[in-house]
This record gives sequence, C-alpha cells and structure tokens, in this order.
Amino acid sequence: MSDTRFGRIQDLPSTHLLGGGTATCAGCGGLQAVHEAYDVLGENTIFVNAAGCMTLLSIYPFTPFRGSWLYTSMASAPAGAQGVRDALDILVAKGRIPPEEDLNVVVLTGDGAAYGMGLSATSCAIDRGLDFTYFCYDNEGYANTGQQTSAATPRAARTATDAGGAGAPGRKKDLFGIWIAHRPVYAATVIGSEPLDLARKIETARGIRGPKLILALAPCPTGWNFDPARLVEIGRLAVSSGVWPLKEYVAGRVVHTKLPRHRVPVEEYLKLQGRFRHLFEPQRNEELLAEIQADVDAYWADVE
Amino acid sequence: MSRTLITGNAAAAWAARLARVDYVPAFPITPQTEIIETIAGWIEAGALDARMVTLESEHSMVTAAGAAAATGVRVFTATSSQGLLYGLEMIYTVAGWRAPFVLVNVSRGLAAPVTLEPDHNDVLAARDSGFLQLHAATAQEVLDLGLLAYRVGEDERVRLPAIVNLDGFYLSFTREPVRIPDPAEVDGFLPPFESGGLGFRASRPVSEAVAVLGGGPYSYFRYEIHAAARNALGVFEEAAADFEARFGRRYAPVETYRADDAEVVFVMMGCFATKAKAAVDQLRDAGQAVGLVRPRMLRPFPGEALRTALRGRRAAAVIDQNLSLGFGGVLYGELAANLCGLSDAPILASFIGGLGGRDIPPSEFYAIAEAARDAADAGAPPEPRLLYTDAELREMRRLQGIAAAERSERPEARR
Amino acid sequence: MYRVRFHGRGGQGMKTASRILGSAFFRSGFEVQDAPRYGAERRGAPMFAYVRAARREIHERGVITRPDLVVVADDSLTASPAAGTTTGLDEHTVLLIASTETTRTWQDRLRHRGPTLALPIDPADSASLRFVGAACAAAAAQLVGVIAASDFEAALRDELAPLGEPAATQNLELGRATWRRFEPHAGLVREGPDAVASISERPDWIDLPFDAARIATPAIHGAATSVEVRTGLWRTLRPVIDEARCRHCTWICSTLCPDGAIEVRADGGPRIDLDHCKGCMVCMAVCPSHAIESIPEATADAHAPEELQP
Repeated sequence: MSDTRFGRIQDLPSTHLLGGGTATCAGCGGLQAVHEAYDVLGENTIFVNAAGCMTLLSIYPFTPFRGSWLYTSMASAPAGAQGVRDALDILVAKGRIPPEEDLNVVVLTGDGAAYGMGLSATSCAIDRGLDFTYFCYDNEGYANTGQQTSAATPRAARTATDAGGAGAPGRKKDLFGIWIAHRPVYAATVIGSEPLDLARKIETARGIRGPKLILALAPCPTGWNFDPARLVEIGRLAVSSGVWPLKEYVAGRVVHTKLPRHRVPVEEYLKLQGRFRHLFEPQRNEELLAEIQADVDAYWADVE
Repeated sequence: MSRTLITGNAAAAWAARLARVDYVPAFPITPQTEIIETIAGWIEAGALDARMVTLESEHSMVTAAGAAAATGVRVFTATSSQGLLYGLEMIYTVAGWRAPFVLVNVSRGLAAPVTLEPDHNDVLAARDSGFLQLHAATAQEVLDLGLLAYRVGEDERVRLPAIVNLDGFYLSFTREPVRIPDPAEVDGFLPPFESGGLGFRASRPVSEAVAVLGGGPYSYFRYEIHAAARNALGVFEEAAADFEARFGRRYAPVETYRADDAEVVFVMMGCFATKAKAAVDQLRDAGQAVGLVRPRMLRPFPGEALRTALRGRRAAAVIDQNLSLGFGGVLYGELAANLCGLSDAPILASFIGGLGGRDIPPSEFYAIAEAARDAADAGAPPEPRLLYTDAELREMRRLQGIAAAERSERPEARR
Repeated sequence: MYRVRFHGRGGQGMKTASRILGSAFFRSGFEVQDAPRYGAERRGAPMFAYVRAARREIHERGVITRPDLVVVADDSLTASPAAGTTTGLDEHTVLLIASTETTRTWQDRLRHRGPTLALPIDPADSASLRFVGAACAAAAAQLVGVIAASDFEAALRDELAPLGEPAATQNLELGRATWRRFEPHAGLVREGPDAVASISERPDWIDLPFDAARIATPAIHGAATSVEVRTGLWRTLRPVIDEARCRHCTWICSTLCPDGAIEVRADGGPRIDLDHCKGCMVCMAVCPSHAIESIPEATADAHAPEELQP
C-alpha cells in the first residue's frame, strides 16, 4: 500500500459527499460503509441500485446524492449497469458527449440480491467483462423487509424466519469465493469500522477497469439486535475475531490486508448481538459455539 | 425504389438499421433469433454502427435496454413469448422511466403447454404496461411501423417505449416483397436521438426511477404515462402523414378494408387478418357485404377510429387470436367497452381462433360471417365460439390414446 | 364509532398499543378494525397506528381523518408536522400526550380546543419510557369508558405474550397501574358521528394536464435534496462535544458517523449537524478522548415546539 493517497486517517476526506436526511436506521453499518466509499468514489459516480434497504435512500423528491442514481429492480441491477456503461461508452465514442461527462458505474446492492436473486445477472456481467464496481453492503439477511434469512445469514443467527430454536440452519454463502471463481479484475472485503482499509480499496478499484467487487460487512442494529452505539465495536470485533477477514483478490491472488495476530474468541463478537443471545441464555450452547469457532479456525488455518 | 423479398424478421432488422440504432441488448428465443443474428452480421460487416450485447435473460435485456435509453442512446431489442413474460417486470418499469426505445415482439403462444407457434397472448400481456403497441400484418408493415415507433416514441409529447408485434412463422419466417426505404430519406423522417433532459452526465446529477411514497404522487406519475400514451394518437397521425409524404405509404391506426358499406365486418389484428381480406373478397364475390376492420395500433387504444369504422355496421365478428382464460377474447372485451352506449353500435360476435398457430381456413371465415349476420338478424349477440372442429377432437383423442397407452412391463412380450 | 389514533416512533410499541385497544374493544363486544401505518419503516422514524370500534360492521377503512382520541407516545412528535399528530383534531377530540411535562403545560402550549391530558412519564423510571405503549393503551381503554376491566386485562395479556418474560409482566404491571390512574377520566372520549352525505364537501376534481417527461417521471434533478428532511427529529439522545476535551485527533468521529453528520471545521474541530444527527451515539462510543457525552433530547433545548394548527 505504498502509493496510496490514504496513508493515515487524517488523509480521509473531512467533508462528506452523501447528504444527510436519509431514512436508514440510526447506526446503520451499511450507510457507514456507503458514505465512506462515496467520499472516495466522488460525485462523478452513478449508483445503479438493486432493491434493498438503500433503495429508500432516495424517496421522491429527496435524494442524498450529489452524483447520479438509477433504481432498477431486485434481480437486474448489473444489467442496468451494463446499459448505462455501454450507453456512456457509445456517447463518448460517437462524440456526442465530451469525455468529462463520463461517470463511474457502481452497482449498490444488499446481500439479499447479491447472494441470491441477483447472482445470474452478476455472474454474467462479470463474464462480459463489464467495467463496473459492485458494492454490496452485507447485513446478513433480507433486512429491508424485517431481517428474514438470506443466503448471507450466518449459522445460528436468529432472524424473522428462523426465530426460534438454533437460528438459521445453513452456513453463510461465500460470495467472495464465487466472485473470484469468475476471475474479476479486483475483489475486496471491507467494513465501515476500518475506514482507512476501505478507502484504500475503493481507491484501488477506481484505478482498474473491469468487474470489481467491494463486499462490506454491514452490522445492522435493527436486524442483529444491538444498541446502535456499538456499531464500531461490533465491526472491530468482526475483524479481530476473524469472522470477517479483510482481504483482496488482485492479479489472481488473494491477499489479506489485516492478519489478526491473536484472534479474539468468536463469542466476544457473538454475545453483543441479540440475534445470537440464544447461544448464551438461558444457558450456553457449547456445541454450537464450538462449531462456529471451529469454522473460523478452519478458515484461518488455510490462510496461515 | 424496387422491392426485395425478405422475411418479417429481416424487415424488423431493417427498421433497426435504418433507424441507426446505437445499442442492441439481445437474448435469443424462437422465433425472433433471426432478427438479432441479422443485426449482428451487419455490425460485423460495418453496415450498422451499433453495439450488440447478449445479456443472460430477457429480464436483464429489458433492464439494459431501458438503462441505455435512459442514458441517451437509441436502442433496439427483440423477444417473444416466454422471454417477454420473463422480462415483464422490467417492461412495466422502463415505461415508467419514460425511456423511449423499440422492442420487436415476435408473437408466440405461451406455456403451458409450451409451443413455438404463434398467437397474441404474449404481446397482450404487455398492454397495461405503458408501452405503445403496434401490430404488423405484412413484412412491409413491420419495417414501416418500426420506423414510426421510433419517431412517435421519441416525440417530446410521448417519450415512451414501443412494441411492434409480428406473428411468428406466418410472418417472421415468411418472405414477402418489401420496399426498403432510402437511408437518407429515413434520416429526414427520423432525427437523431434526443435525451429529453434526462440522462446521466457528470455535469448534471440526477436520481432517476426513485421510490415514491403516497398515493397522490404515485397516481400523478402513472396518470402522466397514460396522458403521454394518449398523446401518441395525435403524434402518430402527424408522423404517418409525414411518412406518407416521403415514402408514399399510408398508415392509419385502424385499417379498414371494404368496410364502408359492409353489413358485417371481421375485426382482427396481425397477419392472419390478410386471410380475412381474402375471405372478404371471396364473400363480396358471392354477393355479401362484408369488410375488415384491423387495428394496427392497440396502445394507445384508437377508440375514436374504431367507433367510426364500426358504427352503422350490423354486426362485427371479432376474431381474437388470444384467450383471456376465464373471460374470453381481449380485443372483444375492449371493443365492447369502446362501443358501450352507442345506439348504432354493431352486434359483437366473439370468436377465438389461431391459438398456437392453429389455422383459420376460408370455410371458417365464411361461417363466422354467416353467424355474425344471423346474430344481427336476431338482434342479439351469440355465445362466444372457440374455433374447434369435430375432426380436431377426433385427432386429439387419437393422440391422447397414444399418450395414455398402457405398456406391458416386459418389452419382449409386446407384439 | 370510536376512532383512535396512536402516534409514536418505530420501536415504541404503538402497533402493540393499537392491538391491545383493538382486542379489548373486541372482547367487550365491538366490531373492530386496527392497523399500523409506517412512513419509512425504521426504528426511530415517526409512525402511527389506529383503531376503529363500533357496534355494527365497520365499512370505513384506511387512515382516520376525524379522530375521537389521539394518543401521542413521544411528545417530540408534536413539533414535527410530518408526523401528523394534529391532523383532523377538532374540539371533540381528546388529545393524550405521554410526557414528563404536565397537562397544564401542554394545554397552554398547544391550545387545542378539546380536552388535553398528559400521561405522566417519570424520567427516573425507565420502565415508564420503555413500556409506554402499554401505558398508552391502558389510558385509551379507560378514556373510552366502554371497556370492562377484565376485558382490558385479558387483551393486555394476549397481546403482550409474544414479548416473552420478563418484558410481558413488566408491561402488564405498567398497563394495570395506568388503567387505575386514569379511572377518574373514564368516558371522557365520546363516539364521533359518521360522515353525512348531504353536508360532505365536493371533491375538487381536475383533468390532470400533460407534463414534459423530464418532470413527469420520478427523477430528482437536484443534488442532495435529502438535506431538507430533518432526521434530527428522530433523536431521543443528543451527542454533545466537550470542546475542552476534544483533541482534534484525526476526526475519527466524523469518519465513523454512519450518516456523515459530523463535519470538520476549518479550525480542525468537529461539528455535529443537529438537523440530521439521528442520535445513534456511535461518535460517543469511538471518541478516543471520551469528549462526547449524551444528553436527553427532550431537555436539550429549553424552547417550546413550533405553533401548531388545531
């Protein structure tokens, strides 16, 4: 990271591009990541949006964007990005607009679309080599409709559709792995509580043409059930416990940008969230806790 | 300018080429694939300066078409049947974006059961979406209505996408003589694409297609699409007049054939209506005052022109090549509403035929005309008739016999 | 017909309050219709719920525009016209406001032509804040005067059961206490009349004119128009920066504020945009010098809410 313009936290922009007054919940981890990213992306950006929490950023006549925005549908935001990108390229190539009028095309999607319904459009946009950034804020469920289980929901999390018993039965899908199987030009995981790491990765993505993934874990006070004030604490624990690895895929290789030297036990991260309370009360579920820890350990064993 | 033999599909491709479209998002489906293959060949050969991109589904294809049009380029796309329905969410959506482009639908019957052959249920599913909808009966019409669709849809009084429909197989794969207009003349008829103040540029931020809360604002946006679609009636008349002046072919929203003094008229859309014309000629030769009324435009609904054509007729035999299951014929229902309350409206007789490409032979046209005249004499509409013969049922039983035949368990025991 | 509206913020239990009242009416032999309505479906954002109760089948539907009783669970909503707390109020409507301030204060402040009552909230008793929904339902049930105590008790139990323990019992106790407290006001709310055809107003129908597509499609041509939405009104806690302790560190608070509601001044100090700060308190949690504290929003400014139309 030697030639980044974000060496220290002071290098991050101190005025923020995204306007206030949006309808996201107080303490939204998704919005935190989006506003940090927007500061680096700049206003010559068009967000092409898939249905989810962030769709309600723009409710007529109010929009927080100083650049552009197009809401499409739940499943086809990457196709909308294709249409916009191709049209801008055509307009510039045919001399109908000057190159300064061009925009960066960024898909803004939640995990609901990204891990499920939108996979086909996403996969094929990568196949076509579309020059776009795919920014996914992952709050690990269909949050906008009340936090139902999605393919991004981690093992044992309670949700609106897995409200009792041992919580969600499946395992969180590896979207990063699915993306890199397509050999994109860039892919990275980020989190709003690590703003410098996030800014550097957005900056890197801006400098490369082709399909790029930015996958942001978005701790969600409403859906994960925690006091909004703990947003950053939980984000940092996601990283320090090893649950959310911070990594990049570039030039065919996966590189971790943060290697937690001594990983905090995963239960330190889980116990702050109401969706995992059943693992601790009325008594500890040692079996599930051990399984979750073992999964995290197994991931890092492959890395180390 | 001489005529060439080309298929309906090729005529659609020619409309895109002459319109100098910039962008063709595509996805293959029978029976339209020849259109995009033809265009791909022209782009390869440098005959059309456009970009073609194959999306992975029609839902994505329509999204890309609308997004590109909303950004400010002229777009063409094509689909059929299952593909149109797969993209139907986005058909409604992009109309609300007020992003004009032309989608050619090559009409094909809908599953289930799946078929490759034509009828109109697919395109009619889009009739409430805000897209303009034009129905071609000949390959010449496919080309000409394609050009008119760009001109009308892009007009600032409209700004809506348009569907031009042609029947699969009977028109899509059928060659007919077509006069291909001179490109320079078409340039005079169809000016370059204007973005109408919408479109994404660095210098002018815009948030498009945003959510709306509240019934008042939502109603405003939907009513405005309707107003724009209604404007298209007048804009089409203007454009058609200009088209006639340049190219010598006249297109009214409703075609009438020997209908002015007809007692009984057939009412049909699409290329099977040319079969109705043949039947009209034969019935006239036999001394019957029969004619044809053929809507070329279905959306906006040309109510005034249809009333003018139908008032004073004794009976109208509406032959729907579609079936709204549980109701009946769609065109029949819309005409009934259109004529309601008029004292000199014809008796409407409803016929359903041509589903999945089922033929309508001359004998059926003659019988339909007779039934319509009988209804006029009786002063009451008959029960709707779903065209189907005893011979067809016997054939169906034979096929069912094969489908349901018992097989013995040990193949070697069979004789 | 009794027509009751409950106003609160997402998360304060107004939906439950409307269901408690609805169930209580139902048990008392009434036909009932109850429903919540959300704007943005977010914790902290204003929402409302409503109840209709009548002795015959209810045909009316949708939002209540002529309420007999309006219950406001969060008094800060009275300052927000968008929350609609005073929509349709007339001299017949009873207005009940859950507040730390007195009945007299609210009478003077709002100058509502009908009866105004405060439902006392004790700032020292966190239960009275957390379970304000149950208290609102209890007060409302008493105020309509046609619900038997046993029916109210049963409705409370039914609707609170999904909360599990100990929350269900805590809510129940506050509900019962409030029911007893409002006995002196039993029957203050009277049924409102139905609309009368002969005196209804004519709708001002127009033929909508055609507008250019540029404005007739849901496109917003201005940048950051959202700043006009004062989400600062969502706050129940306000962050305050102690300038003496703030070390102008590296503007950590400004970067990590989820809404980007903290900017850095020319002198390097952070400034919180109170029009948009939602009071999540992330800034307080992350400040390395602990220079940010939280104070209750209700007492943060000592000014009265804007004048309202009755």
